[in-house]
Amino acid sequence: MKRPAVLLAACLAWAIAAASPAGAAVERKVLRMAFRTAEAGFDPQRVDDRYSVGVCENLYEPLLTYDYLARPVRLVPLVAESVPAPEEGGTRYTFRLRPGILFADDPAFKGNRRELTAHDVDFAIKRFRDPANRSPYAWLFESKIAGLDALAEAARRTGRFDYDARVPGIEVRDRYTVSFKLLEPDYNFLYVMAMPNVVPVAREVIEAYADDTNAHPVGTGPFVLKEWVRRSKIVLERNPLHRGYELDARWADPADAWDRAALEALRGKRLPLLDRVEIDPIEDEQPRFLAFLNREHDLLDEMPFAFIHQALPNGKLAPALARQGVRVFREEQPEVTYDVFNLNDTASGRPNPVGGYAPARVALRRAMVLGYDRDREIAVLRKGQAVAAQTPVPPGVVGYDAAFRTAAQDHDPARAKALLDLFGYVDRDGDGWREQPDGSPLLVEYKYNAGSQENRQLAELWSKSMADVGIRLEAMAVQFVDLLKDKKVGKFVLAGSAWIADYPDAQNFLQLLYGPNAGQSNESGFRLAAYDSLYRRALALPDGPERNALYREMSRLMLAWAPFRLGVHRIFSHLQYPWVKGYKKHPILYTNFKYLDVDLVAQKAAAQ
Amino acid sequence: MTAYVIRRLWQMIPTLAGVILLIFFLFNWVGGDPAQVLAGKISNPEQIANIRKQLGVDQPYWYQLWVFVQQVFTFDFGRSWATNEEVSRILLTRVGPTLTIMVPVLVLETLLAVVFAIMVAYVRGSLTDRTIMVICTTAMSISFLVYIIVGQWFFGFILGWFPVQGWSESTLRNVLNYAPLPIFLAILVGLAPQLRLYRSFFLEEINQDYVRTARAKGLPEKKVMLKHVLRNALIPILTNVGIHLPSVFVGSFLLEVFFSIPGLGREIVTAVNRSDFPVIKAVTVYLAMLTMFVNLLVDVLYKAVDPRVSFK
Repeated sequence: MKRPAVLLAACLAWAIAAASPAGAAVERKVLRMAFRTAEAGFDPQRVDDRYSVGVCENLYEPLLTYDYLARPVRLVPLVAESVPAPEEGGTRYTFRLRPGILFADDPAFKGNRRELTAHDVDFAIKRFRDPANRSPYAWLFESKIAGLDALAEAARRTGRFDYDARVPGIEVRDRYTVSFKLLEPDYNFLYVMAMPNVVPVAREVIEAYADDTNAHPVGTGPFVLKEWVRRSKIVLERNPLHRGYELDARWADPADAWDRAALEALRGKRLPLLDRVEIDPIEDEQPRFLAFLNREHDLLDEMPFAFIHQALPNGKLAPALARQGVRVFREEQPEVTYDVFNLNDTASGRPNPVGGYAPARVALRRAMVLGYDRDREIAVLRKGQAVAAQTPVPPGVVGYDAAFRTAAQDHDPARAKALLDLFGYVDRDGDGWREQPDGSPLLVEYKYNAGSQENRQLAELWSKSMADVGIRLEAMAVQFVDLLKDKKVGKFVLAGSAWIADYPDAQNFLQLLYGPNAGQSNESGFRLAAYDSLYRRALALPDGPERNALYREMSRLMLAWAPFRLGVHRIFSHLQYPWVKGYKKHPILYTNFKYLDVDLVAQKAAAQ
Repeated sequence: MTAYVIRRLWQMIPTLAGVILLIFFLFNWVGGDPAQVLAGKISNPEQIANIRKQLGVDQPYWYQLWVFVQQVFTFDFGRSWATNEEVSRILLTRVGPTLTIMVPVLVLETLLAVVFAIMVAYVRGSLTDRTIMVICTTAMSISFLVYIIVGQWFFGFILGWFPVQGWSESTLRNVLNYAPLPIFLAILVGLAPQLRLYRSFFLEEINQDYVRTARAKGLPEKKVMLKHVLRNALIPILTNVGIHLPSVFVGSFLLEVFFSIPGLGREIVTAVNRSDFPVIKAVTVYLAMLTMFVNLLVDVLYKAVDPRVSFK
């Protein structure tokens, strides 16, 4: 009698335990998505590719960040207590860190909890200038902070960077306060301090994993790196030591449907809500698109252009996707594509037909700009997923003037021909091609990246457009690394380029034509005293109408002298299934995992 | 045989030296400057010079070549210039996924091609033979890319038999879930040319006098084909498999890119695009060594297949 009773009791206990909430397995919220390029690693000071940095956004936290919903973008504090006001005429910025912020657990901390301090900020900034790190963002702090250049120079000489050395421009005042003294006024410094690379790191972690810091990211961010199969799988999981966020609804636009949906999904909740994020780097467009359609992924950031007509015929979501409740977020990215004219007198040791500032050369460049069929580029090559750039400054950044319009970059072959005729670029020998005013042959060489199909198509369009106005253009395919080098050392006549915002200010784009940047980011070698003077004046001004007027004037000078042919601002479409909640694409932040949620009920219902 | 093997091994040294020189000069003359890529969006000449110094590409050519030779003999190619990952680790972690795909492809493709080839050779000149040859010619004229694109869309997305892409840490899951579709498509592509080639090997043997003699002696056709013809045709087949064997370790770039397989093929192409010389050097040298060893192995196997072969 006793044995059946015990068995019965055991069965009952099991049944009760299984039925109770405590016994039920808690379902985890997992977001799955793809990156369109493989990552390089997660040492924030050593990477610059968009996708590595996108992951770093979730593992680390900068002092400042951007409000998720505010448009135009708005700086808000993250690990700093507040956004500091510029001091001493824009040359000093003092940050007070929030006490009690913890790094994620790591063996490097030897079992102790590790609090974020001002010394971690000091260490991270110095890492940018340590030559051993080869930081691609070293330029952010070059000629910027008092004493830092000298420390970097000493490291170059001695082969050792002295992280313990005191730098006059980085003043750690106490455990939570750090003050930066800049060499010159810089009202964009706060944007720099919001970049996902400019994040505090723990020195003991960097030293413990010195051999491969890319594989051991330890930050204060809302997620930790759980699994990493290089170039194949990135898995993030919620950081159990993270303090959590709350969505700030103050800057939401009630008229914006995305804002309303985000507020409805996230308001009052402790963020992040996702338990796990699984990222598959998929370089080819078809598998990325099919993986989304197959529901192997929950969202598709940067919908492949090749499938735009299938997913968004005539700009509207395809009925099959609409029936599944898929939503599309369309975004003009803060980037600009452009073609660079080499303004030096010689290129590759030969006379450069488009170089210089003489009226005839300027006329030739302007005529080439007018002759290029940009409308065709947008309609055919970019499948309508781009808008024509009016200035070098793209939408979504401070200083962008939506009302600015120019006819100087329109496709107008008749004007191009008239301009060429006027300045003596005519066909003298009757071979169908125009000669230079002095009678010598006119041949423009266009260099492009051999590895890019898009660039190959653009090169063909250049050749065809120029042939239509009688200019002989020779497209030359070169390896990507060679193209980079050729553009820096002026071994080109005309070449394609693009720039995406590092921070949301027009200065980040207008510096592309600043004379002293020649040989670096100023690939055209454009040197115009009037432009440089305006640039320097703008640097010393905070955001406001006065600075915007200077930016506008700089854009006008660029259009007049034509060191660039402005291309387009690309439009990206981001697709999500209806169970992804809280989505809104930020123009500067690459990812938004900490603001996303997955509705498990809706996901299950769709699967069934 | 030992003397023959030792002589062949000895001959590998000048071949390897040639490979080292070729890679070195190709990279230095044709390859781009890695410092330009690593320097980021904005960099000045001092930064570029610093990176070149760190990578050692500012050293005299003879010194760089000496370092390369040392690396070959110590099997230590250092770290990737692009990701700082150890090159040995890159090779070890990427070769597994590549072999998971390529070994079944090679084995199945060879077996199927041999079986089909002997069958169509047996019915040579018939409607079946001609039809299969037309199918093979058509199949060969279609690009591998088309097979992948259509196969991925049809079998992965429309029929849903396989995942569209992916790879996991579990070998079993990879073998059962992720590998079948790329393997199937690779076999589909490779089968047609192999079948045609092996058919020609079999036809050549079928027309030999010894086959006629065997038939005259009254041997059953099955025995003639499987014992005499197959055995003699195996030598060129073995040569062909030997030629393809090193490529098994390099993988297929297209398959790896389209199916998100973290293999060596993808790694090599990325390394070339980034001018990541340590990875390029390691892969090229190991591949050259592998090719030489496989050639030696194939030559030794000739003896096992055909006792008439002698080592001189």
